[in-house]
Amino acid sequence: MESQKSVNFMRLLSDESTRTTVSSDSCEYYETEIYDLLPSVQACRAEQSRYGPSEGSEDDPEHAEGGSHGYRSRGPRDKTSVPPLRNLPLCMQGKRGVRERRKMQISRIGVWASWRRSHSIICRRWWGHMGEWFSGLLPWKHTLHKIEGRVGVGVKSYFVFLRYLIWLNLLHCALVGGFIVGPTAFHSGNRKTELLNMVKNFSALDVFLGTGFLENSPLFFGFYKHSSLRFSCLNTPLLYFAGIISILLLSLIMVIRRTTVGYKHTWMVGKRYSTNVSFKIFCSWDFTIQDPTAATLKHSFIRNDLKLFLQEQSFSLRKAMRTFGQKLRLYLLRFILNLIVLCLLGGAFYLIYFSTHVSQQKTDDLSWLVNLLYQYLPPITITFVNLVLPHMFRKISSFEDYSFTTQVNATLVRSIFLKLASLGIYLFFFFRKLSEACRENRFGREMYKLCIFNFLATFCNTFLLSYPRKLLKEKFPTSLLARLSGKQRFLIPFNVLDLVYVQTVSWVGVYSCPLLPLIGIFTLTATFYIKKFSVLRCCMAEQRMFRASSSSVLFHFMLLLGLLMAAVTLGYDFHKQQYPSSSTSSSCGPFGSEETVFNVTGECVKNLPAAAQTTIRYLSSEAFALPLILAEIIILTSYVSRGRANTKAIDRLKDMLVMVSLTDARKFVKPKNILKNQLYLFNSLERLKSTKCFTNITVGTTKSKKNIFYSDSTFQGFL
Amino acid sequence: MGTTASQLDKGMLSEYQELTFLTKQEILLAYKRFSELLPKEETNGISYRIPMNAILELPELKTNPFNERICKVFSTSDSHDGSLNFDDFLDLLSAFSDSATLEIKSHYAFRIFDFDDDGTLGRQDLEKLVNCLTGGTGDTSLTPDEMKQLIDNILEESDIDKDGTVNLSEFQHVISRSPDFVSSFKIVL
Repeated sequence: MESQKSVNFMRLLSDESTRTTVSSDSCEYYETEIYDLLPSVQACRAEQSRYGPSEGSEDDPEHAEGGSHGYRSRGPRDKTSVPPLRNLPLCMQGKRGVRERRKMQISRIGVWASWRRSHSIICRRWWGHMGEWFSGLLPWKHTLHKIEGRVGVGVKSYFVFLRYLIWLNLLHCALVGGFIVGPTAFHSGNRKTELLNMVKNFSALDVFLGTGFLENSPLFFGFYKHSSLRFSCLNTPLLYFAGIISILLLSLIMVIRRTTVGYKHTWMVGKRYSTNVSFKIFCSWDFTIQDPTAATLKHSFIRNDLKLFLQEQSFSLRKAMRTFGQKLRLYLLRFILNLIVLCLLGGAFYLIYFSTHVSQQKTDDLSWLVNLLYQYLPPITITFVNLVLPHMFRKISSFEDYSFTTQVNATLVRSIFLKLASLGIYLFFFFRKLSEACRENRFGREMYKLCIFNFLATFCNTFLLSYPRKLLKEKFPTSLLARLSGKQRFLIPFNVLDLVYVQTVSWVGVYSCPLLPLIGIFTLTATFYIKKFSVLRCCMAEQRMFRASSSSVLFHFMLLLGLLMAAVTLGYDFHKQQYPSSSTSSSCGPFGSEETVFNVTGECVKNLPAAAQTTIRYLSSEAFALPLILAEIIILTSYVSRGRANTKAIDRLKDMLVMVSLTDARKFVKPKNILKNQLYLFNSLERLKSTKCFTNITVGTTKSKKNIFYSDSTFQGFL
Repeated sequence: MGTTASQLDKGMLSEYQELTFLTKQEILLAYKRFSELLPKEETNGISYRIPMNAILELPELKTNPFNERICKVFSTSDSHDGSLNFDDFLDLLSAFSDSATLEIKSHYAFRIFDFDDDGTLGRQDLEKLVNCLTGGTGDTSLTPDEMKQLIDNILEESDIDKDGTVNLSEFQHVISRSPDFVSSFKIVL
């Protein structure tokens, strides 16, 4: 069962966290698996694993037998369950031999044990089948595989992220259908004619603007009126409220879970154990690449990356040797460049403010085209700003004389800030200027327009910009224009930023435009195909490839920021509902003139039985908040201290590891190195003594305990 | 094609499923691809050894700089010529499959990188490895000085017992902390 988990986890990694079935404990298991891989544990695994595979064929039965025993004596986990045959690093014949011997063992041991063993095999197979079946349900497997083969894992992680967002939106849709659209449709028989009328007034312009017949359609907040469903605890407003809250909560849980899974990994890989070059050498080739051009690209990428590393090494040397005057000049330059960045951001925000201002003026007397343009001015501005500025940031950061990694990160942080802040600024100005009868409808319409326009921008960017450029390059490779336009690259971070932005808009707008997730599904699916076309047809892979794992943490962290923004917006909206100023009293949608979110829940609580009422009152009172906070503090403290203890234990284990390797290698060490090694050992010993716990380390897992005792004994033997 | 795929009888199929990380579909696909490589007169293909040159023509392996090493590591041929029979072929696919464990993958990765088959990665092995990764020779490749700096860096990080070579346990120790390794050490038909 446990090995099944580890397999699952590997699948998770290889699929860039597409699976949602993986629980966090499999991740913890992975951590213990690492202890299992330490050399000291491996030492008792002996020669078999080194040479076994090539020689452990059927003509050498003794050897293979020893191999399987070696595996079984590894740890407590393996004593209870034999590892699956496929986990042995043997060739097929070798595995057949091991299987024969296992069968003979079954006949020798008791009925009960043999039944248990065969039962576990059947269970394992069954789980495998289930896993296969579920993975078969995931769409676009072949497309992803193709993309991976052409341009590598980094770009694939973008598409996996996109697929995850579609899945998230599907869940939102189900919730919206269940809580909001379903009940309203069920309880409003007489509104069918209303809907029919809407269809009659259809016009294409309205589809883009979200006005006219769409104004009173199920698309927007205003449609969901207080209907015949009028129980105190089961009415339209309450259901609406519950639907929105559950969407946000569900998103929060899902995103946080995936962020933490990725975060644990980056933390484990963390800077404290520098193994950068070794990773670059041992893990950098992407075995999935099939396309020859992608392979040459990868070669040159690795070469550049290695050269870059060597340069950064000398860069840090150079940095250490900078004179005071040079430092001063550099800081001045950075200060000025940062000022420029700030100015650009300020200009962008003013532009957004200005466009919001212009678009809210009355424009009835103009022709429909100008009207459309006016209405779409803010989305156009936001998209334009977000299209241009990141590239400028990229250029600016190249002057700042940072190391290359810092450059990329600086650009990314600035772009994230720009993207989310521009949306925030827009919302802010929008809310301040809003003075209409049905505030939410208007707001929903803006979000709807942002969503539609962003999709249109993606579409146009690919088919009117990238593809012609590519065609030009193919047809006239020597022309001036083609040479000027340069090579097109698929910039993963910026593309992901786009996705995060769309999802943020969807979250912000779902309250006033409940069908936004549905629109999101369609646009995201179309985006998938558009981007696929763009990657496979128009772009080259990015020169600097993204590491799949670190990027996924970043993606989800950005999503979290977006979600936070949505929550703030919703909170602000509720606050306005609670204390409406004279100009902005809303009187549409589920929350009518007198009802607010707070009223509705209050009404419901009043109608509950007395016991439940007192419980809820207690739960929401200060008397409960204090113990709650105390309990949280205690739990947090215990976790933090446990985390610290684990960190210390890991450090100590590393020291032990060095020592054990040294004692193992003692007999091979040349005499002149002995002194050096002993000195090192002595130093580590001093370090351990200063922390005063090298004799009684307690670590959670039995395996690492065993590990420590093992190293402890060798340690004392050495003394 | 459908008839050749059905030649793999049910017993064999379930045996392969038990012994490898491959799913039923993957095994059938592997069999189909394998029988496309067979010469026409060969009827019972399972035990036939396909020469290394033919294997290297597979698009999945063609661009891989380690393709010859892969064939040599997975070949059970007595003459060490890198030829593969169907069992070896499945072993290869199993080790590179989605669901193979980190342990299996790192084990085979080590053997692929161990060019001289002496059980450790010495300086020569590392140099060959780097050359394979960067695309061999040419004026763009690393200078000898850069190469030396690089290998010194690798050994400083990974060679825990300071014996001048990276052995299997040290290699796996490094690999175990790379979450990207499992997702990139993969060949799917």
